[in-house]
Amino acid sequence: MKLLTKTTRLLKAALQNIVRNAWLGIATIIVLVMALTSVNLLIGVNALIQDAVALLEEKIDVTVFFKQDANEALVTQAKFFISDLPQVKSAELVPSNEALERFKERHANDPEILEALAELDGNPLGATLRIKARSTSDYPFIMETLKNPQFADAIESKSYDDHSESIKNVQSIGENSRLIGMALIGIFALIGILIVFNTIRVAIYTQREEIGIMRLVGASSLFVRTPFVIQGILLAAVALLISAALVALGVAWIEPVLTPLYDGTDPGLKRYFIEHWLRLLAIQGGGLALLVGITSWVAAGKYLKR
Amino acid sequence: MIKLKNVSKTYPPNVQSLKDVNLDIDQGEFVSIVGQSGAGKTTLARLLIAEEKPTRGVIEIGGWDITRIRRREIPTLRRQIGIVFQDFKLLQKKTVYENVSFALEVAGETRKRVREIVPQVLKIVGLDEKLHRYPQQLSGGEQQRVVIARSLVHRPKVLLADEPTGNLDTLNTRDIIDLLLKINEFGTTVVLVTHNREVVNGLRKRVITLADGIVSSDKKHGKYLIS
Repeated sequence: MKLLTKTTRLLKAALQNIVRNAWLGIATIIVLVMALTSVNLLIGVNALIQDAVALLEEKIDVTVFFKQDANEALVTQAKFFISDLPQVKSAELVPSNEALERFKERHANDPEILEALAELDGNPLGATLRIKARSTSDYPFIMETLKNPQFADAIESKSYDDHSESIKNVQSIGENSRLIGMALIGIFALIGILIVFNTIRVAIYTQREEIGIMRLVGASSLFVRTPFVIQGILLAAVALLISAALVALGVAWIEPVLTPLYDGTDPGLKRYFIEHWLRLLAIQGGGLALLVGITSWVAAGKYLKR
Repeated sequence: MIKLKNVSKTYPPNVQSLKDVNLDIDQGEFVSIVGQSGAGKTTLARLLIAEEKPTRGVIEIGGWDITRIRRREIPTLRRQIGIVFQDFKLLQKKTVYENVSFALEVAGETRKRVREIVPQVLKIVGLDEKLHRYPQQLSGGEQQRVVIARSLVHRPKVLLADEPTGNLDTLNTRDIIDLLLKINEFGTTVVLVTHNREVVNGLRKRVITLADGIVSSDKKHGKYLIS
């Protein structure tokens, strides 16, 4: 009963603090919303860059051209060997006869090419193996594996040599954007923490006289501090909801604007926030509540000395 | 009730505010502590409510040695001493009722007790009609009465009033002093720190005079002697 009375009083004091210092509360919420929104903005930008890089990575593959007289069993064996590698996402084999069929289909309206083809004795095209790696960093390993003497002699050429530079570029963009994105989010989070810390300190500074009076009439430090902590956490919760709404509105507005820039495909921003909303809310909400709670506790304690 | 044994207080770098003060105030006494500015009156008041610790000596209140009181024990002490200040120290964003009830709430009193006691003390100080006013809507005298009401809710054994009439006109001063006398009649020890000559001389109660941090005179039915 006593605990219930105490809790009710602490909650009441916190709510009264909010209502009676409404302007201070609004200013605190605005600062918290700005800090949260800027962190979310960077998270969104980072997600977009990651998606763009993933899109580029998805477009990369390597084609192995086998010699026209390569043994069919050896080619099939090479396909299975490559497919079994953990670094390989997919390996598609086009046998020489199918390659010829596809060539004919492609040039069905070009009688000159078809005539030239008919003049040849047999099928001039060898089998091809199209390989997609799980990560761009896996291609050098796959290429090395294809040097296996068992298959090396049957291989005419590989398209990797043409792509190697662009694969390296995409790889480097991906790594850099991840690193820069994380660093920027870290810096913004740190700036946000400093702003929030100082805002709460100023808010409590304006109430230092009240804290002194509470102490004079016999309030324990717990009784003085707790309403400030509750008040801070409630303001943080409101700020979190407002920033979540702003982010949702912002994403809904910007997604259609971005789609043409992504060749009409999904830029992945909305998808990212939908997939990660619970984690983002938990990390940001938890972090903010912890930050505001600790700051309020420490800042109020400063005026509780005696 | 209040005992000070060889109490000294030195502020850094080396300002001696009180020097070897010995005092003995009995329960139910009405004592005025007088002296010029810088005599050590306010330091003495701050020591009694444990806002400061003495550099040397022992302070006892109701048999409790508060010389080396722990921080977490201070709220308990302050619930046993009613404190009245010249600048009122009211919570401006709380109503009259809330300012008074707050002192009970912090001590964990039940809602029922709060509802019983607060109207009673506000009636004693004559503010039972202004429960829902905020401090800024009251006169200086009324604000001081709220402070006195707040200090009475715990039925303190000691009421310490540090210049309670400093911000009041003659009429309100008279009212507040009458109120303190009434409280004293109920058995509460009243320690009045003041430099108001008329008030002290009109009381004809014990007067302790401080000068340069020492007790220069202690008269049972004294007068304000400092020019």
